[in-house]
Amino acid sequence: MDDLIQNILICGIGGQGVILAGKIISLAAFESGMDIKTSEVHGMSQRGGSVSTHIRYGKKIFSPLIPENKATVILSFDIYETARYICSFANEKTIIISSNQGKISSWTSKNKNDKIENGNGFIDADAVAGLLRANFKSLNLIDDKKIAENLGNIKVSNSVLTGVLSCFTKIKEEIWLKAIEKNVPRKTADLNIKAFLTGRNCYENKIF
Amino acid sequence: MHYDNITGSYNSNALLTGNEAIALGAHKAGVYIATGYPGTPSSEILPFLAKFDSAIVNWSINEKTALEIAIGASIGFKRSMFTTKHVGLNVASDPLMTLTLTGVRGGLVIVTADDPGMHSSQNEQDNRLYAKFAKIPMLEPSDSEECLNFTAIAFDICEKFDAPVILRTTTRISHSRSIVSLSDIPSIPCILNLNSNLNFCNNTHINKNKPYKKDIEKFVMAPVYARKRHKSAIERLKYLTDFSNNSGINKIEYNSLDLGIITGGISYQYAKEIAPSASFLKLSFSYPVPDILVKEFVKNIKNVIIIEELEPFIQNEISSLGINLKGKEYFPRDGELNPGLVKQGLAEAKFFITPENYPGTGAAYESGNKNDNEINFNDPENILETLPPRLPALCSGCPHTSVFYALKKLKVPVMGDIGCYTLGALPPLNAMDSCISMGLAFGAAQGLSLAKSSGKRTAGIMGDSTFFHSGITSLIDAKYNNASFTAIILDNATTAMTGGQDHPGTGKNLSLNQSISNKIDIKKIIEGIGVDEIYIIDPYDYNDTFKTLKKALNSDNLNVVITNRPCILYPKKLNCEKKFEVLEGCLGCDLCMQIGCPSILASSDFNPSNNKRLPFIDTSCIGCSICKDICIFNFIEEIK
Repeated sequence: MDDLIQNILICGIGGQGVILAGKIISLAAFESGMDIKTSEVHGMSQRGGSVSTHIRYGKKIFSPLIPENKATVILSFDIYETARYICSFANEKTIIISSNQGKISSWTSKNKNDKIENGNGFIDADAVAGLLRANFKSLNLIDDKKIAENLGNIKVSNSVLTGVLSCFTKIKEEIWLKAIEKNVPRKTADLNIKAFLTGRNCYENKIF
Repeated sequence: MHYDNITGSYNSNALLTGNEAIALGAHKAGVYIATGYPGTPSSEILPFLAKFDSAIVNWSINEKTALEIAIGASIGFKRSMFTTKHVGLNVASDPLMTLTLTGVRGGLVIVTADDPGMHSSQNEQDNRLYAKFAKIPMLEPSDSEECLNFTAIAFDICEKFDAPVILRTTTRISHSRSIVSLSDIPSIPCILNLNSNLNFCNNTHINKNKPYKKDIEKFVMAPVYARKRHKSAIERLKYLTDFSNNSGINKIEYNSLDLGIITGGISYQYAKEIAPSASFLKLSFSYPVPDILVKEFVKNIKNVIIIEELEPFIQNEISSLGINLKGKEYFPRDGELNPGLVKQGLAEAKFFITPENYPGTGAAYESGNKNDNEINFNDPENILETLPPRLPALCSGCPHTSVFYALKKLKVPVMGDIGCYTLGALPPLNAMDSCISMGLAFGAAQGLSLAKSSGKRTAGIMGDSTFFHSGITSLIDAKYNNASFTAIILDNATTAMTGGQDHPGTGKNLSLNQSISNKIDIKKIIEGIGVDEIYIIDPYDYNDTFKTLKKALNSDNLNVVITNRPCILYPKKLNCEKKFEVLEGCLGCDLCMQIGCPSILASSDFNPSNNKRLPFIDTSCIGCSICKDICIFNFIEEIK
C-alpha cells in the first residue's frame, strides 16, 4: 500500500493512547524518508470523548486531515469507534484493523437527558462485527486485550494492533522498533516491543 | 549521526507539531523572555521552548499579566514572546490595545492559537480581527515549517516596524505534525532585499545589551503623547501594506488561469488538496492585506474565490479595496473547515474540478482511487444513532466527582467556570449551570444571589488555577460588597484540562535558569481577604463532602470550601493501590452509575427480576472509593 498516499486514521476513546500510537506510526513513516502530516486532538475530548488522529504520508502531503472516505487504513482501539469512523472515512478498499471489543460506560444516557438507560438500546459489539464483515474485504478484528493480557499487561494492547498495522506498510521492522522504543515509557519498552512483534507475527501467520 | 534530544531527530529534518516549531523559531530568534497562560491549543509552546534552556520561560498567573511581563522586557530592549489561546487574548486585550500605540523596543511576538470547531473552548472567535482592531501586522503559518520560520521572522518585523506582531495559528496548525528543516532560517534582511522602497524604520537597531533608557513620549500613553502615537500607528499601516506586497511572504502561485483561490493558514492546505491545479494567492502575512498582489491576481485570473475559516476577514478586507469576490457564500462562517467542506463549497460555486472534466488534478484524485465510493452499508440505516455516545467525562478517580454529585443532591444553582470541572455540567452529574469565561463563577454567584430568583443559596465553583487566574478579584469583590454565597475551590494542585501545567499554587515553573518559584497558599489568600468561614474537605470521603457542603450552603455568610486531593493524572498518574468490585446480588439500581465514573461499565448480565443490566468495575479503577460511599446497599467493596 505504500506506493500511493497513505491515509491512516487512528481512533478510540480519549485516554486510550491514540495520540501515542499516532506518534509512533508517524515517526516510523518519517524515519523512512517520506513527507508526512498528522493531526491530533488535545484537551477536552481527551477525557473519555471519541478521538482520532490522522496520519498521511507519501511523496507530498497538503492537508493534515484525511479527505472524506479516503482512509487507506483505519486502526481502532474500540469497535464502536470503528463503526463511528467508517461512515465518514472508509471506502470499500479500506483496511480495517480493530479491537473486537468496545466500551459502553454504564451511565451513558441515550437521549442526552438525565435518564439512565443502563447501556440498553445500543448496538452490541457482535452486531458491529457482522456489519464490518459484510462491508470490508480486508477486515482484521483482533482480540487485542486477550493477547496483551497473555503477554502480561492489558495496557500493551495498542502495540499489538500497531504490530498488525505494520504488516500493511513497507516500513522496515527496525524502524518500527526504534520508534516504539523512543516513545513509550522506558520501563515498558520491552513489553511493548514484544506486543508489537506478536501482532506482526499474528498477521503474517494468519492467526487471529 | 548526531541525535538531537529535544527535536527527536537524527538529521537536518524533524517531525514537529506547529507548537513545537513555534518554540524552536523563538529559540532560534534569541527570545529572552517567554510568558503565557495555558490554554488549548497553545499550551505546548512554552514547555517545548523551556527545554532549550536558552530563555526565561514562565507560566504567568493570567494572560494580562503575561503580556505585561513581555512588554516590560521589550521596553528593556529584550525580545519577548507571549502565548495564549484565542479567548486569552481578550484578557490581555487591555495592554494590547495601547501597546499598539507605544510600539516595541525588543521584538514582541503575540502567539494566539484559535480553536475553530471548539474542540476544547467555549467560543470560536476569530482573532484575526484583533490584528485589524489593533492596527498591527499578522502572520498565519500553514504548516510547522512556516511556524518555525514565521516566528523567527516575526521578531525582526516587530523591530523593523516598531509594532508587536500577532502570529495566529489554529488547532489544526498547532496540533498537526509536519516536517521542518533544522538548517538556517531566513532572516529579515534577505527578505527586505526583495524590495526597494521600504524606508519606514523609526526603531533603531536592537542592541541586546542596551542599557535602560527613559522615553516618556513613547511609553507614557497620557493623552498628549497617545494622540501623536495613534497618528504614527495609522501611518505605520501604509508601510506594513508595502511590506505585505513586497516582502515575498505573501505569494502568488500561478497555475490554471481560469481558477484562482485566495486563502491562508490551514485553509490553504485543504484547498491545495482539493484543487491543486488552481492558481493561489497565499496570504501568510494576512494583515494588512497586500492590495497590489490582490489586484494583480484578480486581473490575471478569470474566476477568483476566497477560502477562509470562520469570519469573512480576507473577504471584507478585499471588498474594502473595491473588489467584490465570493467566499462566505459557499463556506461556513462557523466551525472548522476540512477537505470535504472545501470540496463542497467549490462544487457549489461551480469551481470544482472533477477528475472527469479536469484530468491531472493531483494527489487525492491521481492516486488511482477514482472508484472510492461512499459505502452503502448493507443494513443499519442509522448506525451512528445506535452507537454509544461519548461525551467527555471526568476521569476515573477524579476528585471533582464527589463534589458535583453532592451538589446535584443538594439541588442548588451552581455558577461554574472553565476547566476539567466544566464536565460536571454534563450528564449524568448535571451539577453546574454556567460556563462562560475564566473566573466567572464567583462574580456570577454574587450576581445570581443578588437576583434572588432561585429561592436557594447559590454556589460558585472553580479550580485552583482559575482561582489564581481571575477568581481572587471576584472573591475580594464579594467580601467587599457583603455578598452571601458558597465559593468552592476544587484544588487539584495543577492546571489539569490543558495538560497539567504549574501555577502559583504549585510553587514550580518551567524555566531551569531562574531561582526557584514561590508557592502561594490559597487558604492564606482567602484569610487575607477576610473570609472567616473556610472548610477544607477530602473529596474522596463522599459522606463528609456532602455534610460539609450542606453546612456551608445553610450559612448566611460568604464562605469558602476547598478540596484537597491532587489530580489523578498530573503531575504523575495516581493509583490508590486499591481496586473495587460490584458484589453478587447487586440489583442494577443505577445509583453508582450516577457519578459517571468511566471505570463503571455495563456488563452483559441482567438482573432477572427487573431486567436491568448490571454494572461492573473494570481494571481502570484507581481505587478512589467514591462509588463505595454512593452505593447505599453496600454492593461495592474493595477487592482484598
